[in-house]
Amino acid sequence: MAAQNGEAKRTKVTMRVLVTGGTGLVGQAIRRVVEEQPSEDEEWIFVSSKDADLTDTTATQALFDKHQPTHVIHLAAMVGGLFKNLKYNLDFLRNNIRINDNVLHLAYENGVRKCVSCLSTCIFPDKTTYPIDETMVHNGPPHESNFGYSHAKRMIDVQNRAYYVQHGCTFTSVIPTNVFGPHDNFSLEDGHVVPGLMHKVYMAKRDNKPLTVWGTGSPRRQFIYSYDLARLMVWVLKDYQEVDPIILSVGEEDEISIKECAELVVEAMDFKGEVIYDTTKSDGQFKKTASNAKLRKYQPDFKFTPIKQALKETCDWFAENYDIARK
Amino acid sequence: MKVLVTGGSGLIGQAIRMEVEENPKTDEEWVFVGSKEADLRDAKQTKALFEKHRPTHVIHLAAEMGGMFRISTHTVEFLRNNLLINDNVLYNCYAMDVKKCVTALTSAIFPCDSVFPVDESNVHDGPPHESVSGYSWSKRMVDVQNLAYNKQHGCKFTSVVPINCFGPYDNFNLKDGNVMPALIHKAYLAKKNGEALPVWGTGSSRRQFMYSRDLARLMMWTVKEYDEIDPIILAVGPEDEISIKEATELVAEAMDFQGEIAYDTTKSDGQFRKTCSNEKLRKYLPDFEFTPMKEALKATCDWLSQHYEEART
Repeated sequence: MAAQNGEAKRTKVTMRVLVTGGTGLVGQAIRRVVEEQPSEDEEWIFVSSKDADLTDTTATQALFDKHQPTHVIHLAAMVGGLFKNLKYNLDFLRNNIRINDNVLHLAYENGVRKCVSCLSTCIFPDKTTYPIDETMVHNGPPHESNFGYSHAKRMIDVQNRAYYVQHGCTFTSVIPTNVFGPHDNFSLEDGHVVPGLMHKVYMAKRDNKPLTVWGTGSPRRQFIYSYDLARLMVWVLKDYQEVDPIILSVGEEDEISIKECAELVVEAMDFKGEVIYDTTKSDGQFKKTASNAKLRKYQPDFKFTPIKQALKETCDWFAENYDIARK
Repeated sequence: MKVLVTGGSGLIGQAIRMEVEENPKTDEEWVFVGSKEADLRDAKQTKALFEKHRPTHVIHLAAEMGGMFRISTHTVEFLRNNLLINDNVLYNCYAMDVKKCVTALTSAIFPCDSVFPVDESNVHDGPPHESVSGYSWSKRMVDVQNLAYNKQHGCKFTSVVPINCFGPYDNFNLKDGNVMPALIHKAYLAKKNGEALPVWGTGSSRRQFMYSRDLARLMMWTVKEYDEIDPIILAVGPEDEISIKEATELVAEAMDFQGEIAYDTTKSDGQFRKTCSNEKLRKYLPDFEFTPMKEALKATCDWLSQHYEEART
């Protein structure tokens, strides 16, 4: 069972997991997975910026002192959409390096057995061949629009390797492709493509207006449901022993176009109005295909939630929780 | 112009000091600081240092340094401490409105799988060699920060990539020092003790070497005139690359060592070439004249002989 905020329980457990960024999209999904299958041997603690400012070393140490985790899932980061990244590359770089350094170094100093951090497919080199795989992370500069964020995330991998080589720590990382799910950021300006579409459909339906999708709808993307990502991250925490990162994604064969995605969202939200593709707007990159061969090597039988079902669940959550959803 | 030089007591700092003392200018003030004045890993101490001196320009040479052995076995410290030092210095440059900050990177930042010669555009093309990983990544982050400070705040922070440097005040330690000062020290000892001069490897590896006084002059030019944010390699040309064998023979000549040179071919040669292009430098300074090797080595050997007791050995 997830522990309450406040006094941490000093229960005798084999595993006490501290989840930073615990109230976000992925954190909430992990909470769901943990609550579906609670174990008496495990204690899960979900913390957010309200509990500690992770850019502050003293505050981060206090967090570790309070909870004394044996394991860490590190999701906390300064994040933002394209425009925020463009404007504040320095802050994204410095704040995230600081957060990651505090968490990783204190994990080391506090004897944490395993720490799993979250990278992102957006940190890969801008000029690359496809499909991208885990070996390519550092093979060239990232896209300039979010280079600050990207370099800070890449440094997690560098630090993981350094702690392993020098101290034998098992700190590792995962690289999810586009995640979506309940508790996402549905902001039209800041959010990612799927939650953005859901919010647009919601408003189009509410206001009886057409749905306008930016671009031609032809770019293709791999999407991963936050619930599936969470299940995989719990597996990584327990059983993935490599220090090198692992891409967590559906396969290339499950890539869908933005148009297909929009149609599935329309269906899920029962939108009957017109769908317009504003082809004056940029399509962005056509493909960003990531290989999930490494994941399949470890988990050949893992079943991803069918995209239709995943989108329906998320759309339902959004419609029911519109007032409190982040937007 | 008031220039704060961090790491001011090291090889390059001392070389800049010598240049400044030989060619003082009335409208320039140069302040050389070392770790005694401030621990740059500490944000408060760095801030206090900047507030005390209020520089208009900074040459940032300070780093957690070490020889190959230490760098490869303490990768976490080299990564974290240098990230801290560099972040503190750059942040204070920004906060105190420093007009220009030039940081010294290292040629060890280039990817280990590089095709040679490398140039400034190759810095981020792949991971650096494992043995220098922590140090190298922390230096690469300076370039990333320079770009970020420029994009977000319009700051003019830049960097140089010097190749193998040598000169007075070098680290002549046989285990920790770079190849040229180590050779010079070995020649000094061989001459003194009437022994053979031992050289590791076959002597066939090739390197570019630069006199610290030349690097100092170039860094002073960079802080005043170089306006790009992207780094600039400061090096003699690829055509001036010499083999370790040639370097040893030049050192022996400079030290007036007449004895035997013994190549221990059981020891590794290291990387065959690490050639850096100096095309960008030549574009800016086509007429810059590097000190001839013989002269530079003679000056360094003489310095070590005269200052052996207080030299870093």
